[in-house]
Amino acid sequence: MSRFGAKKGRKLPGAEFSWETGEGGGENDTAPTPLFPKYHVPRARPLTPHEQIQVDQYRSLRERFHDGPYYSVLDSATSSAKKESAARVHFDPFHGMPSYSGKYQKKMRTLPKLAGREYVMKFFPKELWQTIQPSFKPDAAMDGYVLRIDRPGIRRGFEDDEDEEDDEAGKKGKNAEGDAENEDDEREVLDPDEEEEEIMDDDFEDDDDDMGGDYNAEQYFDGGDDEYGDDGFGDGGGGGGDEDTY
Amino acid sequence: MASQYAAELCALLVEDNFGELFARIFSILQRYDRLSFPRLKFYSRLSDRQLRHGLAAMIQHHLIYHYTSYDEGVTYYEPNPQAAYYLVRSGKILAFIQDRLGKYAATVMSTIMFLGHAQISHLETLPELRSGQLEADGINDDLEGEGAGERVNGHNVVGAIEQPALLHPTLKALASHGYLIRVRDAQFQSYADNALDAERAIKSRPDVKQMKGKRLEETVLEGTLAMLREKLDGDLTRGLMHNGLPRGAKRRPGSGSADKSARMDYDMEDEAEEENEWSDDDMGGDATPMESGIVVRVNYEKLDVALRNRRFLDLAEMHASSATAQVYECLLRRIEYQTKQCRDSVEIPREGEEGEQYSVAIALSAVTEEVDPQLDLAGSIGPMEIQHSVSKRGKRPLDEGVNGASHQDSDAPSRTYEIDQHLSLLSQPPYNLTSKRVVSGLITWTVEFRHLARKLRHLELERVIEARYGDVALRVIRVLHAKGKLDEKRLQEISLLPFKDLRQVLASMQSGGFVDLQEVPRDAQRQPSRTIYLWFYDPDRIRDSILEDTYKAMSRCMQRLRFERSRLKEFLEKTQRSDVKGNEERYLSPAELTLLGQWRSKEALLLGEITRLDEMVAVMRDY
Repeated sequence: MSRFGAKKGRKLPGAEFSWETGEGGGENDTAPTPLFPKYHVPRARPLTPHEQIQVDQYRSLRERFHDGPYYSVLDSATSSAKKESAARVHFDPFHGMPSYSGKYQKKMRTLPKLAGREYVMKFFPKELWQTIQPSFKPDAAMDGYVLRIDRPGIRRGFEDDEDEEDDEAGKKGKNAEGDAENEDDEREVLDPDEEEEEIMDDDFEDDDDDMGGDYNAEQYFDGGDDEYGDDGFGDGGGGGGDEDTY
Repeated sequence: MASQYAAELCALLVEDNFGELFARIFSILQRYDRLSFPRLKFYSRLSDRQLRHGLAAMIQHHLIYHYTSYDEGVTYYEPNPQAAYYLVRSGKILAFIQDRLGKYAATVMSTIMFLGHAQISHLETLPELRSGQLEADGINDDLEGEGAGERVNGHNVVGAIEQPALLHPTLKALASHGYLIRVRDAQFQSYADNALDAERAIKSRPDVKQMKGKRLEETVLEGTLAMLREKLDGDLTRGLMHNGLPRGAKRRPGSGSADKSARMDYDMEDEAEEENEWSDDDMGGDATPMESGIVVRVNYEKLDVALRNRRFLDLAEMHASSATAQVYECLLRRIEYQTKQCRDSVEIPREGEEGEQYSVAIALSAVTEEVDPQLDLAGSIGPMEIQHSVSKRGKRPLDEGVNGASHQDSDAPSRTYEIDQHLSLLSQPPYNLTSKRVVSGLITWTVEFRHLARKLRHLELERVIEARYGDVALRVIRVLHAKGKLDEKRLQEISLLPFKDLRQVLASMQSGGFVDLQEVPRDAQRQPSRTIYLWFYDPDRIRDSILEDTYKAMSRCMQRLRFERSRLKEFLEKTQRSDVKGNEERYLSPAELTLLGQWRSKEALLLGEITRLDEMVAVMRDY
């Protein structure tokens, strides 16, 4: 205080004001903090009937969304997932096996289902038209509008190889219509529907170079013949095939 | 709305409603803001198929904007945080619609929300919108095949013949209230894209090309605004209003005796009657269905107006008699029909920088028409007569004598006068809920929306401060707000508080960020001893930080909810099983049933808390 040369008796404004005392604790900053300080837990008021109605409405709408065609989750760890894909890695070999009561289990979509209702096509960008309506041919002129041919994008220096690859994949998917469906993409979870056909072709190829040994707990019972493995349980391959039926 | 917690909240809301895939796409878009398909694919690490389907479905729900540039032909995607945020308000909106237009209207509304946007023809085919009375089951089979819903393949289409009975009037009522709007192409692009497009279009006009300098700027600006208005306009109310009143408005003017008896019936019976109350009243006039090609969506802006009015009404109810509140409700409802949005500017206005914006003026006579003719107006004001017990919402005990009496002594001119008196009561400070205007000899009443919205905001802030720091703090804040910047001595003199209390409270509020100090040095050396310290309170700043805190609190609630759900995951999955769901009583043990009940009430509490917080956000941001 005195280093500002203040006169005695005349205190600085706010000098007696102490920062250390908090909201009523009154303890000094240097004192050890109490082990279990008193803590006032605020409690929410119970809901009023009006709020209850609002909450119920929200919940019922959310329930509808969840049961609707668009609700979709990312990770469906089934044994039918592609090898070395993310889903396969996270598959729990001990609890994840399909069981009888599993048929009542709510099936989660991994892909929003677009079919089953009509869409107003003009509200969507051109590149999604084919997704929405598989019968749509991108080459055909619609409403007098001819689809613009994509110019090759300007190459930018900072893009690394991987995403150029991606770019090309995207373009390919845009131009050739069937391509998007069959495209091979190692890292990603695909729809189990189309997965089942692809399981057979990567059986022996990439098995031994990445796995280290040839022991694989998940495959212990499969014995390498994946195409029959799934059907052995009699319910059509776990949750894979009939996910659209609920 | 680009702050961290707001973004987090939106992603959580999307996940809560639509699942992880949507949430992944949405949060990636929020992080990178504007991406073309390949880039989006790269960042989100999703497969082509997932991404395409996800994007299409999200566009259907207006959760993302898309824009295809003309030069490159590349489509860009952008998140629409507003739409995502409004997911949280769905419950409130549906409850409001149910209150205003009945249960069936709420069902229609929730179906439209469920579909994102929907063609009228599609709505016609939906089984859940079939009118509640199941009278037509047998007839259905006969009519099957004639229905207009062949285009839809997934649904079990039974003839769309008998639904218009209820569906179309309901849709019309919703549309004429402005709660539904027509979907336009431009609504799928973000505002900035639309503005740029419009600007480009204007600039390429030959007459504009020749202009220069300031004139060019002005023309472009004007033209852009006009074009945007035209392109984004999805107003459906035109042509559906008659005499400035939307169809299906509950209290209709010129109520004859038949109407009155109908209302009495309605008073006696409950919900069930409410649904049909207006529809059979209004049905006679025009049963022409809505054009089936129209695509409709929910108009959140208009609903904000309605919810804001509800809020004003609560304020009035707190401070005035119920009869007065009811008169006010009539005025507000009249105004609501003609108010499209809460305010003109998109940004949150700064304190003191917004001009007054009066609502549409409503003639006193119109309000008089609107007010329930049986409402006891004299009871709560003026020279006292016998006080009748009038409960809220005009429900009165079914005492014939009382109704008869009040009806007799309220003849038309005095009634108008009484309503005027009620409205002047509301126009008193501190809230100034109404204000009177005399336009060419005609008495009209308006509401100063901006003033009231500000008032609501201040009340909300004061509520928070009082809850956190006590009533002493509240007094200090009010003094500071009224007087501006004050030094400690003046503040103490005005607020009549001992120094010790004052300082403690100021210190704790400063550490909370509610008040702050400004130093005004008296000489160039800036010595602390020769410096004046002024305390000030800046509502704008506080508002922003509170808003942020509220977003954060909401997203924490959502996260908590998710965590609680994951704790009970196994059990909840069991209750979701297709055989258990619906017959919980049969398949679950008593202990499990209790657990389920507990879980439901816990979830309700958290969701209710989110709703309350949303109310705060609405006050701070939207109103």
